[in-house]
Amino acid sequence: MTKPPMDLLQGTVDVLILRTLAWEPMHGYGVSRFIRERTEGVLTIESAALYQALHRLERKKWIRAEWGVSENNRRAKYYALTTEGRKQLRAEAATWRTYADAVFKVLEPI
Amino acid sequence: MSSRFRKFLRLPRRSSSRRRADLDDELRFYFDMRARELMEQGVPEPDARREAVREFGDLDYTKRYCLAEDAMSTREEHRTDLVAELRQDIVHSWRSLRRAPGFALVALVTLALGIGANTAIFSVVNALLLRDLPFRDADRVVRLWGAHSAKPTEHGQISPADFIDFRTRQRSFTGLGAFGYGGGTYIGPNDPVPLSGLRVDANVFSVLGVRPLLGRTFARGEDSAGVTPTILLGYNAWRRVFGADSAIIGVLPPAFFFPTASEAEIYTPLDLTPQLRDVNRARKFHFLGAVGRLKPDVTVAAARADLVAIARQLEREHPEANSGITVSMLGAREAVVGDTRPALLVLLGASALVLLIACANVAGMLLSRAVSRRQELAVRVALGAGRFRLVRQMMTESLVLALCGGVAGVALAVVGSRALVASAGRMLPSTGDIGVDRTVLTVAFFVTVVCGLLFGLIPALSASRGIHLGLKDAGRGSSGGVGRHRLRTALVTGQLALAVVLLVGAGLLVRSLTRLQSIDLGYSLDSALTFEIGLSGQRYATADAEDAFFAQLYDRIGALPGVVAVGGFGSLPLRGGSSASLAIEGRPVPEGKLPEVGYQPISDNLFRAMQIPLERGRMFGPEDREQSPGVVIVSAGAAKQFWPNADAIGARIRLGPNPNDPWSTVVGIAGDVRTGTAGDPRPTVYVSSRQDHWGGAAIVVRTVGDPMALLPAVRREVKALDPALPVVEPRTLRDVQATGLSDHRLPMQLMAAFALLALTLAAVGVYGVMAYSVAARTREIGVRVALGAQPSTVFSMIVRQGLGSAVAGLAIGLAGAAALGGVLTKLLYGVTPTDVPTFVGVAAVLLAVALAACLVPAWRAVRVDPLEALRSE
Repeated sequence: MTKPPMDLLQGTVDVLILRTLAWEPMHGYGVSRFIRERTEGVLTIESAALYQALHRLERKKWIRAEWGVSENNRRAKYYALTTEGRKQLRAEAATWRTYADAVFKVLEPI
Repeated sequence: MSSRFRKFLRLPRRSSSRRRADLDDELRFYFDMRARELMEQGVPEPDARREAVREFGDLDYTKRYCLAEDAMSTREEHRTDLVAELRQDIVHSWRSLRRAPGFALVALVTLALGIGANTAIFSVVNALLLRDLPFRDADRVVRLWGAHSAKPTEHGQISPADFIDFRTRQRSFTGLGAFGYGGGTYIGPNDPVPLSGLRVDANVFSVLGVRPLLGRTFARGEDSAGVTPTILLGYNAWRRVFGADSAIIGVLPPAFFFPTASEAEIYTPLDLTPQLRDVNRARKFHFLGAVGRLKPDVTVAAARADLVAIARQLEREHPEANSGITVSMLGAREAVVGDTRPALLVLLGASALVLLIACANVAGMLLSRAVSRRQELAVRVALGAGRFRLVRQMMTESLVLALCGGVAGVALAVVGSRALVASAGRMLPSTGDIGVDRTVLTVAFFVTVVCGLLFGLIPALSASRGIHLGLKDAGRGSSGGVGRHRLRTALVTGQLALAVVLLVGAGLLVRSLTRLQSIDLGYSLDSALTFEIGLSGQRYATADAEDAFFAQLYDRIGALPGVVAVGGFGSLPLRGGSSASLAIEGRPVPEGKLPEVGYQPISDNLFRAMQIPLERGRMFGPEDREQSPGVVIVSAGAAKQFWPNADAIGARIRLGPNPNDPWSTVVGIAGDVRTGTAGDPRPTVYVSSRQDHWGGAAIVVRTVGDPMALLPAVRREVKALDPALPVVEPRTLRDVQATGLSDHRLPMQLMAAFALLALTLAAVGVYGVMAYSVAARTREIGVRVALGAQPSTVFSMIVRQGLGSAVAGLAIGLAGAAALGGVLTKLLYGVTPTDVPTFVGVAAVLLAVALAACLVPAWRAVRVDPLEALRSE
């Protein structure tokens, strides 16, 4: 069904993943669950888009992957933020804040 | 496993099947976890699995997407790994070179000299033999000369009428152009400046296919009489410019040069009408050169055949003038490069040998270095570095070394090629720029890389072999392997052999030049100033005016302090001189079969000024004038050749083509004079310059002391007589000879320099291998001394070992030199390529140098303290 996500959407997914991994290294399922729980279900990332994003971010060297052992003793691929990824997160977060502020400034008087 | 860890262990990169399996694992983990979550919410198992897959999204696309991303990551990782390793190798190389500054310096200097010599010589080869000549489609351009049937390839001149016939009858060329020699004088605010020049017809520049930098070239019709005189400037003349009383119509581009031996600065139109009108001159006066442009499908040989056939027709049509006259032709490249090619190729080969020796030297140094680094290498192997990685590391080191040497070498070549051109004199034709251009740089780069591979590969392979032994004998002053030592000895033997080849070449050239310099020219070169005077214009139109000018000039110069004698002749014998046909009274010979003799108009005092002995008879005197009976002096050789059984004095002869000229009487016999710097003296006939007016003369002033010191005074006297008259090409007679010998001297000097360099490098090689061998045998020598060996025994043992490789190298080198000697034949004079004294001399020099190189190591061996040597174990 879904073709590659739109650019804006892709950027959004990327920044959410980066922010999530900033807490601690996680596997893909963990990232998906974290975002779902954290936004109380408002934001769900389609898992297809999530995994595409993880591999894309790994290629960009913003996150790096390592095989580890999961909570239930299974082999799982863990992703961790790299220094470069942290830099990227900071930059994108700032952009988002500016963007959101601007939108609110227009919407506020209601 | 993290990529960083993988990099650390140098594991192979992830394969594509491995990446696929990893992705499947990763996704299976997700589906399992998600299904379990759904089951916890109460969904039954099969439904939970199906739901997990359904809500995932486009699984196939995601797999493809992720695999593509992973493949890219792997590739990039690999690339960064390679770059990182290379950087690591280079940094490591740089550090290890800096840790051994002595080794690095010697290796760099060695390589810089080798690469520099090659690059400098190659820059000349490039300019002369490879680069395009400054003509459009230069391979279509040919140069034509007149020639005699007896010497059909000689480079003489063509007569105007013949040229016109060639031009109209030929079928091989799109155009033929003629030129004659004739310069001019620039009269500016200071001393008059003589300008060398050519007179060219309107076709010449279109035949050469050259467009002027400024203005235009000559138009059709501009080369006929009555048109405003026009001038075309060569680029160099333009740079020195001025105005002139002719109209300057254009400037030629900087790279342009005319395919003649001497460089022309100005070009003026050539008008053949007056010569063509005069029956005796039209075909009998040969003074033209010619250039042609071949039609696209015509070869040089076919065009030559075409012209030679026309020359045969002309011989039949005009037997009185054209018997024995033909035409010779060469492609423009051959015409320009001429005899320089063999010398250049020999020098290029010699410089290649030097480079080979340099490479062998560096390889030898690297071999000994590899021994001292065995422990380091062994540690690296133990830590997991593969043999390939080690070889690569050592090759990187060699290449870094080679590139540093290459940079220094190119810098040397830039300076060297400039010095080469400056000292080349006549040997290098004036082909515009000789220097380091992009082609030269490219070739230098490749030579450098090949050198790096050459001297790096053997030590790298030999060092990486049997590396596992390294740790075992660590710290044991190890002997480093018999094989490796044998390799070094072989390298040194090879170096010595190559040095011998170069030494023999240099020796032969030195002996040739000595022979050439000691040739008795028939006159003295000491303390003589020479210059040329060319009279032109209305002022000197009559013979009397010319006679009066020269009489005054000789009086004035003769009166200067320090002048012994002054005289003049048509042209310096070292520049070839002119020739004329000789008829003897009472010996009828069909016209066209008359012998040719050298021919010179001379002033009364010339023989005294040149110190040519008058063997018998009398010199010319004031009584020999234009109107008085013709008199000549013949050279001893001419007297012997033409009057073998009779007295030449009193005989009557006629010079030149005109059968109606009166006879002249032989009044004297002079000593033989060589024309040029070598070859047999040419039979020559001298006439009085008052009986044959050339409108100019080559003046010779014999002095006591430095001839050049006289030049200002001479200029002053000339200026006093005619302020518009330039003193052309003032120099000493010895300089004229030196210029004539320059095509022998330069190859000799370069070859000698190369041989010296080769010998030095080989000596360093011998020293290196002997010093190393003594160091490696310290224990053995210690044992010998402890067992009672005398110092002299130890000494001779070491020297014998060193001389062994020297003798082997010498034998191989001499055999090689004897085999290769043939390539030198064209450069030698009076010496055969297998000249025994040269070979003996080279053998003595080489053995002496090799012995000297052994002395220090042998002395060190004698001083080995047995206790010390055994304790160091």
